[in-house]
Amino acid sequence: MPDQPWAVWDKNAKPKRGGIFRVAAEQYIGKMNPNHWPVLDWISMGYMHERLMLTDGNYNPTVPWLAETLSWDGPQQVVMKLREGVTFHDGSAFDAKSVKFQIDWIRDPASKTWDAGWLAQLDTVEVVDEHTLRWKFKTPWAGFSGVIANVPGYVMSAKALQEDADKYDTQPQGTGPFILEEASPGNYLKFKRNPNWWFAKASNNPDMPYFDGIQVTIIPDPAVRLANLRAGKIDVLLLDKSQYAVAKADPDLKVYRFAMNHLAALRFNNTKGVFQDIRLRQAVSHAIDRKGLIAGTQFGLARLASCIYPEDHWCHNPNLKPVTYDPDLSKKLLAEAGYGSGLTVRGYYINTAMGQTIAEAVKGMLTKVGIDWQVDLMAPAALATRMQKMDYDLAQGGWIFIYDPDLMATGLYHPEGGFNFGRSKNDAAIALIEAGRKEVDPEKRRAIYWQLEEVLYNAYEDAWLWWEEIATAYRSNVEGWDHEGFLKYRDVWFWAHPLWFRDGKA
Amino acid sequence: MGKYIGIRLAHALVVLAIVVVLVFVIARLIPGDAIMAAMAGSVDLHDPSVVAKVRHQYGLDQPIFVQFAVWLGRFVRGDWGTSIGTGERVLDMFARRLPVTLELFLGATVWSIAVGIPAGIIGALKRNSTLDMAVTAGAMVGVSVPAFWEAIVLIYLFAVLLPVFPPSGYVPLSDGWLANLRAMVLPTFVLGTHSGGLLARYVRSSLLEVLGQDFIRTARAKGFSETAVIVKHALKPSMIPVVTVIGLSWGGLLAGAFFVEVIFAIPGLGRMSVEAIFQKDYPVMQATLIVVSLNVLLVNVLVDILYGYLDPRVRVRG
Repeated sequence: MPDQPWAVWDKNAKPKRGGIFRVAAEQYIGKMNPNHWPVLDWISMGYMHERLMLTDGNYNPTVPWLAETLSWDGPQQVVMKLREGVTFHDGSAFDAKSVKFQIDWIRDPASKTWDAGWLAQLDTVEVVDEHTLRWKFKTPWAGFSGVIANVPGYVMSAKALQEDADKYDTQPQGTGPFILEEASPGNYLKFKRNPNWWFAKASNNPDMPYFDGIQVTIIPDPAVRLANLRAGKIDVLLLDKSQYAVAKADPDLKVYRFAMNHLAALRFNNTKGVFQDIRLRQAVSHAIDRKGLIAGTQFGLARLASCIYPEDHWCHNPNLKPVTYDPDLSKKLLAEAGYGSGLTVRGYYINTAMGQTIAEAVKGMLTKVGIDWQVDLMAPAALATRMQKMDYDLAQGGWIFIYDPDLMATGLYHPEGGFNFGRSKNDAAIALIEAGRKEVDPEKRRAIYWQLEEVLYNAYEDAWLWWEEIATAYRSNVEGWDHEGFLKYRDVWFWAHPLWFRDGKA
Repeated sequence: MGKYIGIRLAHALVVLAIVVVLVFVIARLIPGDAIMAAMAGSVDLHDPSVVAKVRHQYGLDQPIFVQFAVWLGRFVRGDWGTSIGTGERVLDMFARRLPVTLELFLGATVWSIAVGIPAGIIGALKRNSTLDMAVTAGAMVGVSVPAFWEAIVLIYLFAVLLPVFPPSGYVPLSDGWLANLRAMVLPTFVLGTHSGGLLARYVRSSLLEVLGQDFIRTARAKGFSETAVIVKHALKPSMIPVVTVIGLSWGGLLAGAFFVEVIFAIPGLGRMSVEAIFQKDYPVMQATLIVVSLNVLLVNVLVDILYGYLDPRVRVRG
């Protein structure tokens, strides 16, 4: 453990034990078995559960966590060595048998798990010895480590699942730093410190986690969440973008800004309607002033996007530059395509306040070059139906949480994708997506995704707008946040470096 | 009186039956797909087979009349289904949230009566005075001010700048009555503001009308004190429109609770309804609308009964 690059602790820091860390969440967690749908708060899920693998600073699932080592034995087999000395909150042992039971349970249709399909390429998982597993795949499966760094890799007590799997939805038994103490659905969650957290011993920081507990309170309104932070009723807040400047000016708050792996984009209907013509897709893409959109609608909190994977994602092709803002070129392209006198297209955008602002700004930019975008602002349910029926020319697109590259690539651009519905059929891209799934060599796989980005970029498959940024505010007595460390190692740093109160209490 | 109550209850049952059908049909006429909507909030849930599996699990792949028959059969037997949005049993959600909303309603009603009725009486008795104008202006503000704006302003005033009350949240009575009271002062005040203003206006005009009647003049001529004239003779007949307003406000309170519970993070029926509507969470939406309708119907029956008590001519005609 100490030999890991992210395992660096500030020697001058004086962490103190104690206090209840108070957090606000927009929604109640839902079910607490990660494999039972719906789960609406993955941060709280992480207080209780840990994963087999974690992602690094470039969202690459290469960091061993509860899996100590992972070695490929050919493209269709992986030998996994599990960490020793780990126990679940119910006292049972974490070992090869418990992981096998969990994986088989996820794949059993009777368990009604929503992520069983993610393990479709898994053939068998075998117990080699007490702490070793052999995973065998039906076909070469490059995305394996990405999947076990995701939902199916949240480790759960086999004992608890065997006794009463339904009970697990409300009484989870993970291995994480905090144990669920009390849940009041729709209202709050209370966690207490796990005194037997394996990582405290493994990292030679026996007081970890430093808080006695965590209280997550559900506060739906962003203005009221900020009021709670400023009134000292909560200790940390994921800020609404409009609150960034206000929070930054508050001397009692420490505000950090960081990139997120989310993509905001406009999606074209490439197989039905006018946008089958690449010149019209180019016309739209060049008509959008992305810098203006970021400044005017995102309060400056976003980065110009050039393609699908964010610039800090291991699959992003750095040779691609954001599409230029060139309204004259747009007009020229429209004229060439036979729409010099104007083009009318239909579409939709989400009906939140932010959605409305973005849609109106984009509509204004398109109007300037002669495109009348008749955009309907809709609730998520209605929007999903329009997407499914391909009832649009140009609409809201993008993706949230871009981890394993195949998930988004397939979702948006492959015929099997859950968010494609036949609107994108780029044969070169499809071939690359399929190649990327099978290539287990990381460097060769990276090259495939660089190529995929280039193909999509040259085809103007979508109009990519920005990669998300967010900001978090802590009360000044919360210590331990090393922003540089977080930006460098992200996921693993976040879970490995618990915070504490300066005076040991809230 | 018994026959009168029976007729009113029968009317209410017919209305309820119509509401049940309408609620079910209208919920399905709202554009969009419930499963896709709820899944859009989840992480990495993009497999179409998962969507189909979940849709089947909630019976949404059945014809609408089959869905209705199955749902109604279960509903009357106390099985209100499972929330698509949160996965909880709907009946459990109601059991936990109904007392919270009732407390909010009661608190708001207390505020509106405690402020609205005295203000209306003062306005009527001091007609056209500065005090009357101040009360009337206050009542107009109460009626006009949007609840969400009032809530945000009060939170910043009394929770951030002057930290007297908590900015949001609900503390159950079992955790101490004082903490419960402190948490409920702002939300109940905000919720009661509109009906309080309305009540003040109605009490004032109704009392003014009654005070001009012959029997009041007679009472005064008999030498009763002004207090006795107002309390014993004028107040009761002037309460008929007031009872109507309170009854109507009770129905309107839930619309207010939609905002107030979201803003103050109170885990009641209002917030649950908002979340259910946005997610097209049929089981919760249907149950909520039926419970709300039932609540409005029962309050209206109660108001009808009170009419009969306040004015015997009503029950004779009824």
